[in-house]
Amino acid sequence: MFFPRRIAVSALVASLAMLAACSSDSSTEPLPTPVLGASGQATSTTVVKITFTSKAGDTGYNVERAEGTAGAFAQVGTVTAPATPGSVTFTDTGLKASTLYRYHIVTMKGSSVSSPSAEISVTTLAFGFAAAEINTDITANRTLYADTTYTLKGFIHVANGATLTVQPGTTVKGDFNTLGSCLMVLRGAKIQAVGTADAPIVFTSSRTAGSRQAGDWGGLIIVGNAPSARTGAVEIEGSGTDGTTVVGGKNYQVIYSGGTTATDNSGELKYVRVEFAGYAPSLNNELNAFTFAAVGSGTKVSYVNAVNGLDDSFEFFGGGFDFSYGVGFEGEDDQFDMSEGFQGRLQYIISYKSTNIPIRTGAGSYGTDMEGIENDGCIGSGCANGYDTTPYTQPLVANFTLIGAGSQTIHGPGGGFGMMLRRGVAGYYVNGVVARYPAGGISVRDVNTYARAGSVAIPDLATADFAVKNIYIAETPVAFQAASATQFVFDLAGNNIGYDGARTAASLFASIPATGSVPSGAFDFTPAAGSPIAAGGLATFTGKLAAKAGTAVTGTTYLGAAAPGGAKWWQGWTIYVRN
Amino acid sequence: MRIIRTLLVVLLVSAAVHAEAQTARPGRIVGRVIDAGTGLGLSDVAVQVVGTRLGTMSGLDGRFTVNGVAPGTVTLFARRIGFQPKTITGLFLDPGKTLEQNVSLAAATLQLGVVTVSATAERGSVNEALDQQRLSLNVVSAVTSEVIAKSPDGNAAQAVQRISGVTVQDGKYVFVRGLGERYTTSSLNGSRVPSPEPEKRVVPLDMFPAGLLQTITTTKTFTPDQPGDFSGAQVDIRTKEFPAERAYTLSLGSGASSSATGKSIPVARTAGGEPWGAVGHKRDLPALLAGLGNLQGLNLSPGEKNMLVGLFRNAWSPTPSTAAPLASGAFSVGGNDPILFGHRIGYLFSGTYSNGTDEKSNQVRALANRGSVTGSTDEIDRFTGATTSQNVLWGGLANISTLLGGNHRFLVNAMYNRSAENNARIERGHFENEGIDARIQRMQYVERAVQSLQLGAEHSLGEQHTFDWAVTSSKVQRNEPDRSEFVQQIVTNPSGGETLRWIPTGNGGAVRTFSVLDEVNEEARANYQFSFGSASRPHRIKLGGLMRNTSRDADTRAFSITAPGAPPSVTELAPEQIFDGRFSGLSTEVFDLAPLAQGGAYSARDHLTAAYLMGEWSATEKVKVSGGARVEQDHLDVDAVSTLGAPLSTSKRWNDLLPALAITWTLPRDQQVRASVSRTLARPEYRELSPIKSRDVLNGDDTQGNDQLERTRVFNVDARWEWYPHSGETVSFAVFAKSFDRPIERVYRSAGSGTRTVFYTNADKADNLGVEVELRKSLASLVSLLEGFQLFTNVTVMQSSITLPKNTQASATNLKRRMVGQAPYVLNTGLTWVNKSGKASATILFNQVGDRIDAAGDTPLPDVIERARSVVDFSLRVPVFNGLSARVDAKNLLDSPYRTTQGTVTRDRYRAGRTFTAGLSWRP
Repeated sequence: MFFPRRIAVSALVASLAMLAACSSDSSTEPLPTPVLGASGQATSTTVVKITFTSKAGDTGYNVERAEGTAGAFAQVGTVTAPATPGSVTFTDTGLKASTLYRYHIVTMKGSSVSSPSAEISVTTLAFGFAAAEINTDITANRTLYADTTYTLKGFIHVANGATLTVQPGTTVKGDFNTLGSCLMVLRGAKIQAVGTADAPIVFTSSRTAGSRQAGDWGGLIIVGNAPSARTGAVEIEGSGTDGTTVVGGKNYQVIYSGGTTATDNSGELKYVRVEFAGYAPSLNNELNAFTFAAVGSGTKVSYVNAVNGLDDSFEFFGGGFDFSYGVGFEGEDDQFDMSEGFQGRLQYIISYKSTNIPIRTGAGSYGTDMEGIENDGCIGSGCANGYDTTPYTQPLVANFTLIGAGSQTIHGPGGGFGMMLRRGVAGYYVNGVVARYPAGGISVRDVNTYARAGSVAIPDLATADFAVKNIYIAETPVAFQAASATQFVFDLAGNNIGYDGARTAASLFASIPATGSVPSGAFDFTPAAGSPIAAGGLATFTGKLAAKAGTAVTGTTYLGAAAPGGAKWWQGWTIYVRN
Repeated sequence: MRIIRTLLVVLLVSAAVHAEAQTARPGRIVGRVIDAGTGLGLSDVAVQVVGTRLGTMSGLDGRFTVNGVAPGTVTLFARRIGFQPKTITGLFLDPGKTLEQNVSLAAATLQLGVVTVSATAERGSVNEALDQQRLSLNVVSAVTSEVIAKSPDGNAAQAVQRISGVTVQDGKYVFVRGLGERYTTSSLNGSRVPSPEPEKRVVPLDMFPAGLLQTITTTKTFTPDQPGDFSGAQVDIRTKEFPAERAYTLSLGSGASSSATGKSIPVARTAGGEPWGAVGHKRDLPALLAGLGNLQGLNLSPGEKNMLVGLFRNAWSPTPSTAAPLASGAFSVGGNDPILFGHRIGYLFSGTYSNGTDEKSNQVRALANRGSVTGSTDEIDRFTGATTSQNVLWGGLANISTLLGGNHRFLVNAMYNRSAENNARIERGHFENEGIDARIQRMQYVERAVQSLQLGAEHSLGEQHTFDWAVTSSKVQRNEPDRSEFVQQIVTNPSGGETLRWIPTGNGGAVRTFSVLDEVNEEARANYQFSFGSASRPHRIKLGGLMRNTSRDADTRAFSITAPGAPPSVTELAPEQIFDGRFSGLSTEVFDLAPLAQGGAYSARDHLTAAYLMGEWSATEKVKVSGGARVEQDHLDVDAVSTLGAPLSTSKRWNDLLPALAITWTLPRDQQVRASVSRTLARPEYRELSPIKSRDVLNGDDTQGNDQLERTRVFNVDARWEWYPHSGETVSFAVFAKSFDRPIERVYRSAGSGTRTVFYTNADKADNLGVEVELRKSLASLVSLLEGFQLFTNVTVMQSSITLPKNTQASATNLKRRMVGQAPYVLNTGLTWVNKSGKASATILFNQVGDRIDAAGDTPLPDVIERARSVVDFSLRVPVFNGLSARVDAKNLLDSPYRTTQGTVTRDRYRAGRTFTAGLSWRP
């Protein structure tokens, strides 16, 4: 049904025409072409499934296998081409556990054979790991155990006030084959995922390491009951794609607006990684690695790492809670994105982007404006006063280290700023480092945003809702995007903002890769000896900033997410991989 | 052109042969006898040629034929029991020719004297008796072929907007009494026309060329013999029947559009076949790609994707071209000849073709954002540019009918229409989100075809019984192959000038979309009517049934092409360079390819069974009461493939009883008052029931259906006073009220990051109240100098309010407001002049529709309003010599801009340009 007969027939006719055209070139039958898009998956310790799409006119396919990286190929089976071109599956059994096998497929057409298709590498599963599927909503308290690898199949909701407890060291995979698989912790429900530095909790793709891509699965979505700036029914991006009724296991509509309790508690995340998430259940609605929607201040989030998500690494819609020790690697849009009246306090956060990771086909697309931090006021329906809608988005972001890729091509035509602060956003951005952004360090966009700062170049912390203080900016063409009618610039000296456009990001830190090179994974974000970021911090908070910070966030004498000589808090539990 | 010339020669030769055969042979008189009180055909009327022994009895539908009449001046005499006999004088019959003369008979009063009238006068009284507006039980308005011929209207959509209370949107879609298109149904010769639009159930009436039309009737009140799913109106298009004697017409025309003709404008690239609206497979999705489905679950290598990108047609940017003048041509041949063993067969074959190029110039579009001050709006994402359109419309029909034994009439009607538009749009503007300037190029090609084959018959079984039936098979197709969108960033160079750089990331940088829709309707219906009572107090009982099977398949597939990491040396090339193959080899890794709008496929199966029983009872000679009820049973199944590849099915079973009651009082001095009450319904469109989320083909909104939708029940009350002071003159005043229970309304759902989705929901209720005034007046009766001038005007003023539930799903729309699409007023007025012979005429028409909601605003934004717009059209017909006549038409003389606004923001604005055409018509 998905392909109307007419398209199928025309496809057939066209391929026949193509064949006819080819055959006129020589008197012999043309060589068949190899199949495209073959894939393989280990389904147990001894079984591998090979899947590919047949083509019209082919008579059959020989599946050939080789063991290890160097073994020779030998035929292991033959599949007859189905009458109607479609998906063909070959199941190879009797294999060894934890062993790498390579496969390719040879197309047969009568007596002619094609050259082999592209190689597929599959490693069979190891012994001793229990596996479990989660394919229905979690509506009663449940614990996930570290000795089991769980696979999420479909849109799994933790609902009905249930608490999902996840033991340290547990791995939860989002199923690649069940499109959009994700975990949504709904309003009223809780997640207690507290790992340790030695045994973090990992949410990742079900594909084998080495073949994972951004958007392989959905991501982790937490919906609380705290207020947000937009009124009316506002739904989680990507939810509600298949039916509007509440049915277990389906992607029903999840509303996050209308929260009432600022102190709402959605549980705790600690030492949690989310990798290769970001599938878009509908067009332009990619899920984020971590989505916090209307999450209240009773929730605790610390030591969280987003790796290679297709949309943002961390996105915050309204609500407000304390968030510390967060690392975003290579997210394919923004690393931190706050909007709709978010009130949270973030301290010690790192954003590192060096490239765009390949995307799972059909999962979505790269952002056209990738920034380190992209904070908005209110945008969309339910913003009663447009960009001036209250509550303002007013986070406190302290001790941030934002490092870009240094390439406008990577960041997209509208991206490439360390911080994009726009659409009437407020908040306090202090003690940070912004480096290697191709468009500029900071963009203060829209007259409404500037108004939050009192419409002055040196905001007064005693009165301003918005200030950027004690920042160091390096390896960018400009510190602030050039002033215009809709674009504003803060005074550098008056706000203790250091700027050296020629200075490299690598020179600021103890050890980070040079622009354009592939990270080895051993980052050291502490200030290099003599680095300007080792000092110059705002140690004492005053005025509205102090009131906002309370006891949760304190000033530092240094800039960035790591103290000189301090703990390398990101080491051991974060991971840098590309596939 | 050569075809037309050949045709002309054939027609000339055959006309000459025909002329030679005409010697001083006896002629023929044909016609219909109708009841002056009801306009219905009267059978069993004795029709005699006075002074001869020639005569006949009228048969089915009052039709009669008298053969072998000697040429010269003839007098006819007609009589039937219960009716006043009539003598018609002054008929002149040419040798060997056929003369058509209809006769109206009035119910006998106390005096039984014979009335004698002239043939010319009788034509007037027949016209009056055939006035459907006057005689029909329900409130109807009609545009006849005579009216269309005097107007500049080229298709049914243009003609229908002359009817009171009618609004035509986009030059295609009909709204009646300000209600949305969902409340209007369209039929062709009484059978439902399938909808060729994927997201709406509407028939673009511009697909029906005016040359093929006999009448367009708009019925505004329900009687049980009509389909129950209309509440605003039922628009019935009747194609022409055959003339009494063989006749040919040929017309050719040409013209210019002030916005385009002769100018160099960017036009869409062609693939071949566009001039006939039939590109065949030239724009199909590349076969290899079609076979790979939605690319899900495949593991295509970068090289494989590059190779697939290379398969698309390398067409992205419109090319400049000088716009050709408008051109049109039409021919028809019809007659009633003894073709089959001497048996007379009536026939009409007709064909028409037109094409043209126009431009929507000075086009501005923008989005609105809520401003800081409560209630204010700010403009964002403003783009300016122009859209050019190359349009083609052609079609043909074949009508064949015959009478068997005077009481049985069989007819076959076949029709085929095809239209195509090839659009190109170039615009420049600013994206607020990305903070960049951009240039967008779009090309879109849409072709639609409607075909219909109908077989039917009417049987007169004695004086009192008539039976008719019809079976119809119709099919529509909408094909939108290979739409392209290409977006470039405009980079201002420090040294001056600008560079265009393709945006190779995101979903929208380079997109190709392929969309097909097929819908097939099979319908069978039968009606039986029993008439009794006296001529002055007739009664009727009517019953019948209908069965209709509809099946629709729609599929949309879109692909986004990106080039992540492509350097300026790639992205700064022209699009046709980027995609000429240099980067799409199997070994290159420049492009990425991803499917969009995954799951835009659905199929629907709809089975409708209906039966009705109704009666008309003349309580007195002056008061007629009619009433009855209709039962409809609808089985509807919609299967869709969701974004996630999982099929979703919706199944609905609806049974409805739809009663109706109407009363008509005939008052002295040609006045009438009528009142009616009825219950009708409106069912959801197929796409609206399918709960998948996909991107609209038409306007690019993300759209999601709702499987919880219920049908809307509508309670209708109508009352109308009418006065017919003279033949062809009308004054009427009507009020109407409608109450909608759970009307379906298009609303928005909003999501994080400000994205939103179009959604359909049942509102709680809606009310619609209105007043209609119509005036048709000959000015000769006021000032004798103004003989031949007729003024007509109709105004509808209405008001509606809809209340949406405050539910959790769709509160992103204003909850209480007017219904979407409802205009507060519609005004049509015009002045026509016809000379005494009726061969020369001039008409000037004015049309204005009040501000109406184009789309409900997502709160707190105000609603999007389509602004009132005035249109003036003029047409002139003058005879040249013999059968040759000339026509001059001017359309949209004011060229006032089309404009939609949201608060203070102009959402869309353009000028369509004035159109001038001139042509010649030849009727030998």
